[in-house]
Amino acid sequence: MSIMEYNGGSVIAMVGKECVAIASDLRLGNQALGISSNFQKIFPVTDRIYLGLPGLATDVTTLQELFRFRVNMYTIKEEREIQPETFAHLVSSTLYERRFGPYFIEPVIAGLSQTPSGGFKPFIAATDLIGCLNFAKDFVVAGTASSKLFGVAEGLWEPDLEPEDLFETISQTLMNAVDRDAYSGWGCVVHVITKDKIITRTLKGRMD
Amino acid sequence: MFVTRSEYDRGVNTFSPEGRLFQVEYAIEAIKLGSTTVGVSTPHGVVLAIEKRVQSPLLESSSIEKIMEIDRHLGCAMSGLVADARTMIDHARVTAQNHAFTYDENIKVESVTQAVCDLALRFGESVHDEEAMMSRPFGVALLIAGIDEKGPQLYHTDPSGTFMRYDAKAIGSGSEAAQSELQDKWHSQMTLQEAQVLTLRVLKQVMEEKLDHHNVQVAQVTPEKGFEILNETQLKDVIETM
Amino acid sequence: MPAMLSTQPHGLPHPHMQTEQGPQQRQFNPYTENGGTILAIAGKDFSVIAGDTRQSEGYSIQTRYAPKVFRLTDRAVLAVNGFAADGNMFVKKVRQRLEWYRHAHAKDMPLRAIARLIQTMLYARRFFPYYVYNILGGIEEDGSGAVYSFDPVGSYEREACRAAGAAQSLVQPFLDNQIYFKNQTPAPGTSHPTHLPLPTVLKLVIDSFTGATERHIEVGDGLEIYVVLAKGASTQALEGIRGIQETTVTNDGERVFIIQRELKKD
Repeated sequence: MSIMEYNGGSVIAMVGKECVAIASDLRLGNQALGISSNFQKIFPVTDRIYLGLPGLATDVTTLQELFRFRVNMYTIKEEREIQPETFAHLVSSTLYERRFGPYFIEPVIAGLSQTPSGGFKPFIAATDLIGCLNFAKDFVVAGTASSKLFGVAEGLWEPDLEPEDLFETISQTLMNAVDRDAYSGWGCVVHVITKDKIITRTLKGRMD
Repeated sequence: MFVTRSEYDRGVNTFSPEGRLFQVEYAIEAIKLGSTTVGVSTPHGVVLAIEKRVQSPLLESSSIEKIMEIDRHLGCAMSGLVADARTMIDHARVTAQNHAFTYDENIKVESVTQAVCDLALRFGESVHDEEAMMSRPFGVALLIAGIDEKGPQLYHTDPSGTFMRYDAKAIGSGSEAAQSELQDKWHSQMTLQEAQVLTLRVLKQVMEEKLDHHNVQVAQVTPEKGFEILNETQLKDVIETM
Repeated sequence: MPAMLSTQPHGLPHPHMQTEQGPQQRQFNPYTENGGTILAIAGKDFSVIAGDTRQSEGYSIQTRYAPKVFRLTDRAVLAVNGFAADGNMFVKKVRQRLEWYRHAHAKDMPLRAIARLIQTMLYARRFFPYYVYNILGGIEEDGSGAVYSFDPVGSYEREACRAAGAAQSLVQPFLDNQIYFKNQTPAPGTSHPTHLPLPTVLKLVIDSFTGATERHIEVGDGLEIYVVLAKGASTQALEGIRGIQETTVTNDGERVFIIQRELKKD
């Protein structure tokens, strides 16, 4: 029995044209037994950063609170909103603190970072359970359906997708990947982050 | 043939100096003592008919079984030592089932015939010092009727393990007269009903008793219903039309 | 092959005590996993069967060209993935049985008969299985394209598409989406096509393998795509394709083509 597969669940993030998307399934399980079909794994960090936490459910809750605390402390001390790159390093160092007794979570970060000219640049990143950062330019995946997500994303993703097309691409990728994973599924939630709004949609999925 | 009996009569696997296997030849003779059996092939299916020799009024004629099913698409009629045919039909059935099991398709009529003929020459064959499985040739000839991807077919096998395909064939005691009648009357575009009537007419000519539904049996293999033995009503209908 | 012989000492022999060594158990492991991926898709009147050509053991590449897809007859192509030695032997045995069948029944074995034969051959080794996943593709007797997939002990099923091997988990959900249109709703008043045209299928096959090569270390080097066309099917889609070759033997029935492509070698 692997702890990473104890509760199941998967997250994916993708880069689009001046937008990013992050999506996850909604299942919470106890190994093969389904417990909840409305278990959120993605949390807003700032108005333009979302954080996905697939892995052991108890650590999902713990880390969500821990990051909320640390981001608040950052905002107060620095008197500015945290940028996605900075947040990624915060995630990384937080996880590495527990190098030899890790949280069983593989975080996925998606956000828009502010450029010096005042524009926004898409940013995604993922880490392993001890905080090794992966800044991908296209998409990142994590969770029990990660290999399936890689396969579908590799086939469907293309550069410079507009928000609605990015939504379709990430949704199709996630839905078809989790349908082949017994530990993920039971519905999905998708967030598309653009410079002036966030589109959040809950998708119906197969319930088997 | 019967004048010069010699020591070559004894060994089932020994050729005579003239190059003959007497036991096989005698086995073929044995078939000529059997009741007449007729098979007719048409584009719509194959018909088999046999004469039942009801030797005693006390004999239950329905217990005479000379037409048997091999598989849904294969039927068989026999003449000669009926008991021997059981071994052969058992083998044919097993072969057909094995084929369906292994290949998920119906075995071809020729293939099942070949399998039966392979068995026919196994007499006198022994492994190491063991006793041979069969001591003599089969004393029976078969008409194997069936339908496969090549359409309706009729095969004849004899105790020598030879098999040949026929459009129409008669075997048994009345076979000579019956065969020439078939040669006269058979044509390539027969309907199934014409074939049924033809087989009975041919039997009627060579039978000593008056033909009725007790002393003949008719079976057919059709693409629609596979092998079936005609029931009493169907048989009476054919006799009536005849 | 050091990986195939393992030593398990019983108890803990002291490093300096050479005289009293405990009993040792040696074990031969008859199986290896040789990586790679295979894939097949059936169309209306064609079938496409593909596989990469990398063969590996652990992290080392044994060869960059070891075919996993084999033409059996002019209407049947078999892809074999798993333990390469078992795979090659299995194909040899299937071919032998096809030859025997040809002699006994005077015809080439139909596709569904080959499928059933493979089941019986695999199940015959239920307790010492061929460590291989088989995918059989070709043309059925009614002229339709078909794909049959098997597990190592002979469970089988006819499907429209199937991926197997190292990158099965990467490729299969992509195929679900693109071939079966899973999770896609057709526009009102329209419906999804039941059969995709050959050029679309070839694109999907190539995309699947480039994707799998990108993300899976055991996939890459070369790609062999077999295309089986039903009798009378148009060859138009195959004209002008780079690296295509015809391997048909008879000339009045189904036709077999092979397309060879390079995949990334890293």
